[in-house]
Amino acid sequence: MMLFPQAPSHRAFRVWVRHLVYYRSFYLAEWAGNLGEHILWLVAFGYGLGRLVPNLDGISYAQFIGPGLMVSVAMWNATYESTYGAYSRMRIQNVYESMLMAPLTVGDIVLGDLLWCASRALIGSTLMLVVLSLFGLVGSLWAVAILPILFIEAVMFAALGLIATSLAHSFSFFNFYFSAIVMPMFFFAGTLFPIKGLPIWVERLSEALPLTHAVRISRGLFIYGHVENFIWHFSFLLGFTFLFLTVACVLVSRRMVE
Amino acid sequence: MPGFVIDAQSIEKSFGTLKAVDGVSLQVKPGECFGILGPNGAGKTTTIKMLHGAVESDAGSLRVLGRDVATQSRLIRAQMGIVSQEDTLDRDLTVYENLWVYAGFFSISKKASLTRIEYLLDFMQLREKWDSQIKTLSGGMKRRLHIARALIHEPKFLILDEPTTGLDPQARHLVWQRLRELKAQGLTILLTTHYMEEAAQMCDRIGIMDGGKFLVEGPPQTLVQEKVGDEVYELKGGASIEFLDSLQDLSVTTEIVADILYLYSRNGMGIMEHLISRGRKDFLRRPATLEDLFLKLTGRELRD
Repeated sequence: MMLFPQAPSHRAFRVWVRHLVYYRSFYLAEWAGNLGEHILWLVAFGYGLGRLVPNLDGISYAQFIGPGLMVSVAMWNATYESTYGAYSRMRIQNVYESMLMAPLTVGDIVLGDLLWCASRALIGSTLMLVVLSLFGLVGSLWAVAILPILFIEAVMFAALGLIATSLAHSFSFFNFYFSAIVMPMFFFAGTLFPIKGLPIWVERLSEALPLTHAVRISRGLFIYGHVENFIWHFSFLLGFTFLFLTVACVLVSRRMVE
Repeated sequence: MPGFVIDAQSIEKSFGTLKAVDGVSLQVKPGECFGILGPNGAGKTTTIKMLHGAVESDAGSLRVLGRDVATQSRLIRAQMGIVSQEDTLDRDLTVYENLWVYAGFFSISKKASLTRIEYLLDFMQLREKWDSQIKTLSGGMKRRLHIARALIHEPKFLILDEPTTGLDPQARHLVWQRLRELKAQGLTILLTTHYMEEAAQMCDRIGIMDGGKFLVEGPPQTLVQEKVGDEVYELKGGASIEFLDSLQDLSVTTEIVADILYLYSRNGMGIMEHLISRGRKDFLRRPATLEDLFLKLTGRELRD
């Protein structure tokens, strides 16, 4: 307590509850939107573009991108909520400020926000899972095991988003963040096309991206029911989650307490 | 309960080269109401933010409710209500949700918070706004909701930063009335305001702040009496040197602002007779106020 006056605690749950109360007022519209979007992606890419793509290691293109879309949906959701959403709460609506007038610490607020971002991401991904199974693209029941891993992945991307938010001085900063970090992450993590066979520097870059490791786990679970080198991929995700979480706590503290 | 609710010793805060708070010492006893007055930019809000840890002090020692703000601000905030100057209501939530969610931050049970919310919405005359969105509330309603929110956990100590600024007279009166009731219930209150009359009525002690420090501090009536006097005579239309000379025998201090001559008197004896004998009947005679003291100490030039 003395050493870390801003450390997170169980009170983060109360912050999460605040977001849930707000969510109750618009979740149906969001779910409908999510479902529509997921189906559109799958139809446009999986079946539209997929007609031109030969089988990849014995699986169809739609089967190939399904698990990739699962993890990228989690990333996009967590990122939107932790950038545009969190920036609005932090800088525009003074929600963080009002929480700091109650007995909450910056750590409580950051952790509560991240858990919330991850919860929303999990909802988005679960809807994706429903769509994928409706299209018959889930090859193994083990696919369900991706959900807890997606939660961790989403916390990680939410923490990264919150780092961007604490550095941002206006919403336009996020244009930069999305084009410099999120889009390349999405394209070079092996979500829509295999990285193998591309120039060696692209392969190396891809290995360094956290999303790549989430994609590997997801594809393994969805198609084969097991993941090669699971411990390595999982540790990679977990390591970056703790790193981003710590940096986010420090940066938000600096932004909130003068 | 320790001796003081606030015990600040020479606290300081700089932002870059600006010294916003420059050695403020302040002690407030339980049950006391203390008012901080001062022009814009005097350091009032920074001082207030230091009390709940939103601004960290550079120097000095600061204890609130017996605890050190630097290390225990969370525990202090658990017993303290804060009404900030800017709107920090949650615009995504309704009136009821605002209070219910905030009660959760203090770990108040659902049942207890419901009872408390009903009481506070009645107390602040917001009962019929229970389900309203924040954006549909008037400025006065928002401020009342702010105060209700700050009282949700029955704090021992309430801080208000300009609680009535920007409100219409009706809303302002309601807020001051409620604050007086809270004070009568024994709540310790610290507030900043530009409304001198209300501050003088409500506060046991006031401090006038400028340039990041207190210029004077004490009970309002005593301060006015000591530093200004009992009565003020305002004469319009200026005064000749000869007329000013004639005032020297009277125990008054004078000040000329634009076309008005102010006479500040300590015992008032003979002044009216003197003015009438000089043919000056166009004067206004009134008791000295906190505003006279304020302007005397902080000057009359604009500050924004």
